[in-house]
Amino acid sequence: MSNVKQVRLIGFGGQGVVLAGTLLAHSAIKDGRWVAGSSAYGAQARGGTARYDVIVAEDPIKFPHMISTDILIAFSQKAYEESLGQLSKENALIIYDDLLVKPETLPGVVQTGVPATDRAIKDLNNKQAANMVMLAAAAVLTGLTSQSSLVKALEENSAPRFLEVNRKALALGQEIGLNIKKI
Amino acid sequence: MNDTKEVKSALTPGSYFFTGNEAAAEGAIAAGCRYYAGYPITPSSEIMERMSQRLKEVAGVFMQMEDEIASICSVVGASWSGSKAMTATSGPGFSLMQEALGYGVFTETPLVLVDIQRAGPCTGQATKVGSGDLMQAKWGSHGDYQIIALSPWSVQEMYDQTIDAFNLAEQYRVPVFVMADEAVGHLRERMDISPLVQIKNRYKKSGAAPFGTEEKDGVPPMPSFGEGESITVTGSTHNEFGVRKTDDPAVHERLVGRINNKILNHRENIIQSESYSLDDAEVIVVAYGFTARSAFFAVDQLRKSGKKAGLLRLKTIWPFADDLISHIGKLGKKLFVPEMNSGQVYGEIRKYADCEVIPYHQTNGRIIHPKDIIAHIERII
Repeated sequence: MSNVKQVRLIGFGGQGVVLAGTLLAHSAIKDGRWVAGSSAYGAQARGGTARYDVIVAEDPIKFPHMISTDILIAFSQKAYEESLGQLSKENALIIYDDLLVKPETLPGVVQTGVPATDRAIKDLNNKQAANMVMLAAAAVLTGLTSQSSLVKALEENSAPRFLEVNRKALALGQEIGLNIKKI
Repeated sequence: MNDTKEVKSALTPGSYFFTGNEAAAEGAIAAGCRYYAGYPITPSSEIMERMSQRLKEVAGVFMQMEDEIASICSVVGASWSGSKAMTATSGPGFSLMQEALGYGVFTETPLVLVDIQRAGPCTGQATKVGSGDLMQAKWGSHGDYQIIALSPWSVQEMYDQTIDAFNLAEQYRVPVFVMADEAVGHLRERMDISPLVQIKNRYKKSGAAPFGTEEKDGVPPMPSFGEGESITVTGSTHNEFGVRKTDDPAVHERLVGRINNKILNHRENIIQSESYSLDDAEVIVVAYGFTARSAFFAVDQLRKSGKKAGLLRLKTIWPFADDLISHIGKLGKKLFVPEMNSGQVYGEIRKYADCEVIPYHQTNGRIIHPKDIIAHIERII
């Protein structure tokens, strides 16, 4: 991982974008990295876009807000489209839910589809767990954080009744990420 | 002498992902704060919320008062009862507290107030950022007096400076303000908790005059109610034992002089700052609070493109770093002062810096972005 990565997780309200972003932040801290996070949700986002920005760095972070997006993790078509304007000019990476996002042709941008919602429904019978599938797959594809730290972060921050399904979703996401990486 | 000791941190040592407001509450608990009285107000409310949970766990007392006036009066009373006490608020609440803060100053009451500054004046924009309360912190109450005001730029510093604030309050018997802004209060980032915390406790001496003049540092010992001492506390002019003397010029002059000098004579020990890349800088950005984060990034970017910029960050706003600014002003460089107000610290810098000082004011409730600082400095260099 290069020194500073600016990551935007974005979707619509209710998809668990903020939880995914928060877990990514907690998890990267467990890896010994420096992290800053900020969200836009609540009244301003209800029914609309929900977003969580995480900056992950090897050293203390100078400016804690996003300047441009190095890694975009998109959970919906609208969110995907809204975010393209903020992409970093160099080495931008997009990871998207391949059931919900139809990617545009973007020269110079690496775009990877993850069947997060599809597999959350088929394997876990739980569409709501797609955020955890996506998070774990993105972690494998980007090296932003380790799977073991993600699981620890989940255990510390998940509501007990969702812990088991979320744990399974992280494992599923890791498997999907590893399979994509092999290709 | 103050009782200084190292104590175990209240939280398990390690790294946390906190907001600035949560970190301020944790700093207070770590410093030994065991009394909080407040009235919730955006964008400071998370401090109060966390204190309501944490004080229970450390056998402290939490009070939600009927308003800000009652809150600060309650904090003054708790401090005289021997507790380390605090409140947190934002601009409108800070305004309401000014009279009792003057009482706190004149009765030499250690207390901590965290002001999470929002876009004012008046109720302004409650959820938006500003740093327009700095002059209010210094001059909000009437009469001649000094306080101490700190300016954190990160979540880590919300923790560290809240601890500092309690230590300074105990050491100098004075209200200390943590003048954070909304952008730092609501910022969420990694902060580290170390195993030990250095704390100071107020100086006590049985039978001594609680407003006496015998101490070299100008800070008399402070008894607490319930310790068997005879204590009179009044906001009117008082002699060494707290007896009202409202017609004696010598007593008034001695008391007002002492409460000013006990801070001003220790400026060197109180004032903290940090500097980056000053040596060969053509332009020095002087900044504080969240704006210093933007300036830090901007200076780094400018250096990468060969522009000689530096940063002087004021961690203490009051007492003002007059000697430091005077020194910097003699180096033959330009100073650039970005602020989320109409130039409150710029005016102070002008007083002491004998060089070109360029202000940049932004009062739109938004943070000053690094790109704005970069654009301005590129025009200056």
